[in-house]
Amino acid sequence: MLRSLKGLVCHPLKLDHGYALHTAAKDCLSAVVSQDVQTPSERPRTVFCTSENDPAKHTDHHEGRHYSIPLEEVKAVFPHGLPYRFQQQIKTFNEACLMVRKPALELLAYLKNSNFAHPAVRYVIYGEKGTGKTMTLCHVVHYCARQGWLVLHIPDAHLWVKNCKELLQSSYNKERLDQPLQASFWLKNFKTSNERFLREIKTQKRYVWGKRESTEEGRPLGEVVEQGLARVKNASDAVGVVLKEVKQQCCLGTFRLLVAVDGINALWGRTTLKKEDKSPVSPEELTLVYNLRKIMLNNWNGGAVVTTLSQTGSLFKPSSAYLPQELLGKEGFDALDPFVPIPVPNYSPREFESCYRYYLDRKWLQHEKGQRPPG
Amino acid sequence: LCRLTQVRWSRYNPSFIEPEVNKELYQKPLEELSEEEKQKLELKAVQPIKAAPPTLSSSVFSDPMISKFTNMMMKGGNKVLARSLMTQTLENIKRKQLEKYHKAPEDEKETIECNPYVIFHQALKNCQPIIGLSSITRGGKTYQVPVPLKDNRKRFLAMKWMITECRENKHRRTMMPEKLSQELLQAFNNEGPIIKKKHALHKMAEANRAYAHFRWW
Repeated sequence: MLRSLKGLVCHPLKLDHGYALHTAAKDCLSAVVSQDVQTPSERPRTVFCTSENDPAKHTDHHEGRHYSIPLEEVKAVFPHGLPYRFQQQIKTFNEACLMVRKPALELLAYLKNSNFAHPAVRYVIYGEKGTGKTMTLCHVVHYCARQGWLVLHIPDAHLWVKNCKELLQSSYNKERLDQPLQASFWLKNFKTSNERFLREIKTQKRYVWGKRESTEEGRPLGEVVEQGLARVKNASDAVGVVLKEVKQQCCLGTFRLLVAVDGINALWGRTTLKKEDKSPVSPEELTLVYNLRKIMLNNWNGGAVVTTLSQTGSLFKPSSAYLPQELLGKEGFDALDPFVPIPVPNYSPREFESCYRYYLDRKWLQHEKGQRPPG
Repeated sequence: LCRLTQVRWSRYNPSFIEPEVNKELYQKPLEELSEEEKQKLELKAVQPIKAAPPTLSSSVFSDPMISKFTNMMMKGGNKVLARSLMTQTLENIKRKQLEKYHKAPEDEKETIECNPYVIFHQALKNCQPIIGLSSITRGGKTYQVPVPLKDNRKRFLAMKWMITECRENKHRRTMMPEKLSQELLQAFNNEGPIIKKKHALHKMAEANRAYAHFRWW
């Protein structure tokens, strides 16, 4: 949902009627409706909406148009991925409509033409605040889910490095710290989105969780996830096991893997967490972050890694920073080094028009002052 | 009680005119203006005009009732917070109504009102009392006398009741926009605690009909 149109256009915009649209902050959400109420509903919806609901078939022809995702699919594919404002929009309009934009089409083209025998390519989506990076990521995730890939979607990596209420010392490695709440929350959502894979993938090693609990070799991965959910103390280790197994088995070629991380700059920055002796925690000391960094390396093949940079949740970074170099820092940039950057710009006039017509159609724009030429 | 001398003084000379904010008046070409409007324009070119207060805007989206309500909700001069609460309330009303609209069957869609401004104005109109009570002392005793209210007083009472109701009778954790949107929607449908308060006032006035002759204005 557009939080404020002021961020989108910094100068008055000329629509096709030749009138300049008055831009104000939040009040603009209830902007002008055209005087003759008949015409918007009579205008065909194909101008801003397309009936092509499969992301695999989206081409440049569909650019600027909205496509809708059935609500059951939304619950299955995105249990935790969508931004809060978009979830509110889905609830209000009773449908989930995503705009097809150039950066997403570019990414989909790369994914379709990629050679899975080569090491996994890392794509970094970057752009200024509020331009649609998370929505591009969700578009790609939807495409991969439709194609039957295993999707490892981390909705916001920043949530793992701040506001953690419980930090336990890891049982596996004495120096690292566990985060049971975040790990179990993620495991629950992972289970809803990828149930079929959890039955097919088998573990390749024996994992011992405690004195009496262990997972044998050859058991389905679903058992590891159940173990993590049942014993919350081992949740972070369960996450680590899942990531390791999935990475190893993807190289064999039975399935494709998509690692989708939002806010990847959290993995290489600083954290706001403190240990019991008030000393600051660096990200390597957190099990979740450590395991995630291992999967970010490009030493495996058979899939792709799509990530987003995000300034909004980031810690200790100025609000004007949006380029990869600034947000990732030296360490992060070196770790991610050969990556494909994908810039996401603000809405072009055509996309703005399409979004505006969509809102008019859904009756989101309610103010009844007719469109007039500026004074 | 009406006073003989002005209580609130204005530092302006009486010759100063109020500023005209309506853009449409200035956009009309000269030929369309009637005689008196032309005279007024000529006078304005010569006479001094008062400074426009910062809350007065010529935007299409500004509404005097909404600004009055925001000012009443404001605490400690925090206009930013009050305005954001107001916009969130309007957004909440719109979301609730739109949800109902999109889930309703075709024939009911016409009856659901989605415009938050219309709902706000109608709700406040429904909350305005018609008759009020004023305390008059006669022979040592104070009587509550039913009295007709001026328009300003009615609007003020409606807004005051709305705000006090939302501030006091809510759970500690509910946010103000949520509670306000709930109350506004209830008032729009002529139900809810504020309408009850209005009816209680009307009943009191009806009960004290006997003292109506104490009123001399």
